[in-house]
Amino acid sequence: MAGSGSRGRSARLAVAVGGRVGVVPWWRTPTARRYLFGYTLLAPAVLYVSLLVGAPFLFSLYLAMSDATVGDPVAQFVGLENFRAALESTMFYVALRNTLVFTIGAGILKGLLGTTLAFLLLQPFTGRKVVRALLVIPFTLPIAISVLGWKWMFDSQFSVINWALSRLHLIGAWGSPDWPVWLGQPHLALASVMFVNVWRGFPFSAIVLLAGLTSVPPEVIDAAKVDGASFMQRFSKVIVPMIAPILFIGTAFDTVFTLSDLSIVYLLTNGGPDGATEILPTLAYNVGIRAGALGRGAAISLFLFPLLLPGMIVLLRTLRRRQD
Amino acid sequence: MSDSETAPTDHAPVSRRGFLGVTGAGVAGASLLDMLAARQAPAQLKGTSLRILTWSHFIPAYDAWLDDFAKKWGDQNGVRVRIDHIPHLELPARFASEFAAGAGHDLMQMNGQIFTGQYYRHLMDLTDTADTLEKKYGKWMESSKSAGQVQGRWYAIPDFYIAIPMLWRKDLFDSVGVSNPQTWEDFRKAARLLKPKGHPTGMQFSHCNDANHNWRALLYSFGAKETDPSGQNIELDSKETREALRFAKAMFDEGMTAEVFSWDDASDNRYLASGVACWIHDAISAFRTTEDTNPAVFKNTYMLPEAAGPGGLRWNVGEPVIWAAWKFSKNPQGAKDFVVAIVDAQKEAMLASRGYNMPFLRDHYKKPMPGLGNDAKLAVLQEQDKVTAFFGYPGPMSPPAQEVLTTFLIPDMFTRVARGGPIEDVMKLFIGEMRRVYAKHKTG
Repeated sequence: MAGSGSRGRSARLAVAVGGRVGVVPWWRTPTARRYLFGYTLLAPAVLYVSLLVGAPFLFSLYLAMSDATVGDPVAQFVGLENFRAALESTMFYVALRNTLVFTIGAGILKGLLGTTLAFLLLQPFTGRKVVRALLVIPFTLPIAISVLGWKWMFDSQFSVINWALSRLHLIGAWGSPDWPVWLGQPHLALASVMFVNVWRGFPFSAIVLLAGLTSVPPEVIDAAKVDGASFMQRFSKVIVPMIAPILFIGTAFDTVFTLSDLSIVYLLTNGGPDGATEILPTLAYNVGIRAGALGRGAAISLFLFPLLLPGMIVLLRTLRRRQD
Repeated sequence: MSDSETAPTDHAPVSRRGFLGVTGAGVAGASLLDMLAARQAPAQLKGTSLRILTWSHFIPAYDAWLDDFAKKWGDQNGVRVRIDHIPHLELPARFASEFAAGAGHDLMQMNGQIFTGQYYRHLMDLTDTADTLEKKYGKWMESSKSAGQVQGRWYAIPDFYIAIPMLWRKDLFDSVGVSNPQTWEDFRKAARLLKPKGHPTGMQFSHCNDANHNWRALLYSFGAKETDPSGQNIELDSKETREALRFAKAMFDEGMTAEVFSWDDASDNRYLASGVACWIHDAISAFRTTEDTNPAVFKNTYMLPEAAGPGGLRWNVGEPVIWAAWKFSKNPQGAKDFVVAIVDAQKEAMLASRGYNMPFLRDHYKKPMPGLGNDAKLAVLQEQDKVTAFFGYPGPMSPPAQEVLTTFLIPDMFTRVARGGPIEDVMKLFIGEMRRVYAKHKTG
């Protein structure tokens, strides 16, 4: 109240002396008002990120540095002990290796398939709108339902994939040595969970890319064609540089989603057999929630953070440089 | 205890406080007995509500019965009962979120994954309820106590366990001259002879509940132990463990196919029902599924409580199911009364579950047991309590034992040996992991 009174007196004073700049308070200058307006607009987003991302992150950091259990969350500080415990475990290294293979492998495949699909969908053909709509189905289906469908298709006894391959005489009948056990043979099991992730994710990559491609002015492409640029040259020298910001954001999103994808592995194999598909999210869940060791589970899940951080920094800095 | 301390003797005068204490306890005890006999809660329950969290039972008919039972119990006692069924693997996450929020269900069921040790400081002390039930229905199974007890107090009430017996095809066994299988060696022999005829066996070498039960049953029946009885020291590094691993490797090579590395909890059910398996080691839900889907196979499917190891030991590893209530439960009395009512209705529960729910209290094993006693094949399970152990055996179902269970260290040890890993190296690796888990819980 006192402040507002003071502001009123200042305003009156400013009028009385005929517009002397010195008496205008700093927060009423046009620059300050612009800043204030900008920060006010930004505040909801900052608040949202702080509450929904920052707070859980800090809480998981607190858990990771404590001996918290599900029944005793108010725990003692143990420093980096939980991280040390994870690094002493052989299972952790297996999960870390699988996580990297899973993320990088699935990322590359989604990139390749998504790009191919985006270019195909860019071409005019009858029913293109319907195909584009159908494309999003894998991404929009509830994950539990689609993964259970794949579980049946990968079943060791009743697999429709094996049945089809067998009918095509590409493999023997059930019980023969070349009958694939998709979720049972270590490399096949990891490939299978990656495949489901790719199946689910590559339409997203295609749509992101498609959005970028449609934003490229056709005149630019035509000019490149007139100049004699091949398809690959047009793609790498014209299209990619123009849609790079969209590609960066899409890649960042996809990497985060893949690296933290618990559902597919949990529902298909739960990390088995013998850790062949164990990834950091499943290990963290089984240790932190199912075994109740919250601190150690949080530490395992936070190993994802240093894995992601450098990649995200590089991506965002590149993006900013391009904008500058 | 307090009664005996304050009760007047011949030589002591009867004080007003002592008189009131003794008579008060007597009245309360009599009321409780009346209440139990009438299956009706006291008046203060009227108008309250009771929220119950439980799993989706593998026998859907049991869930229908439980929902109906709860409704009738609620109507009788003036309590609004609501039961939420969720998949059993989702229960631990739900417990964690309810505890963190300090709000949730008034009564919850832990299934297979036992969290009494982790949460007991925040669970209602149910010792009086456990004692009352023990007086009424005989002793609790000794091996079950660690599911509900911490430091001698009961924080959860065992409801039932799931037995995982041997289910074997008599017609196939007869065809290879193994007519009365009793030992693991008999089952290995049958699988060896029947696999070339298109009838292999299978036990999960994967990350699922059945893998945890099945390989532990083999391990314990061979005389191996996870820990000492105190649960403090790991005792898995033994010649019995080596023998069990050697046996499992031979049984896999001779009698199974690589499919078992991908199996989940239902795969062996399907293997039996499809007519392929010569035997499986599974809950009787597999028996019931086969009854419903393949009567010809069902006709020839028989049961053995557990196969015996080389020393004659038989240890079946059951899946315990227990009731617990948070201290922040809004209806603690309702939770207790409901648990008592459900144990009182054990016979009906066994019938509703088609013999699936095995009781924890001795008197419930009086023959003929409902759902089992009148069925020639299932009747062999009427002494299942004598051969049932639980994870961590002979130690308690403690938090570190739970972590060893949920990280699948035992099935993974068997898997690696089945895939050709050298037994000594594999044991060193996995027992090392177990030691790290137990050490963390000691220091943590």
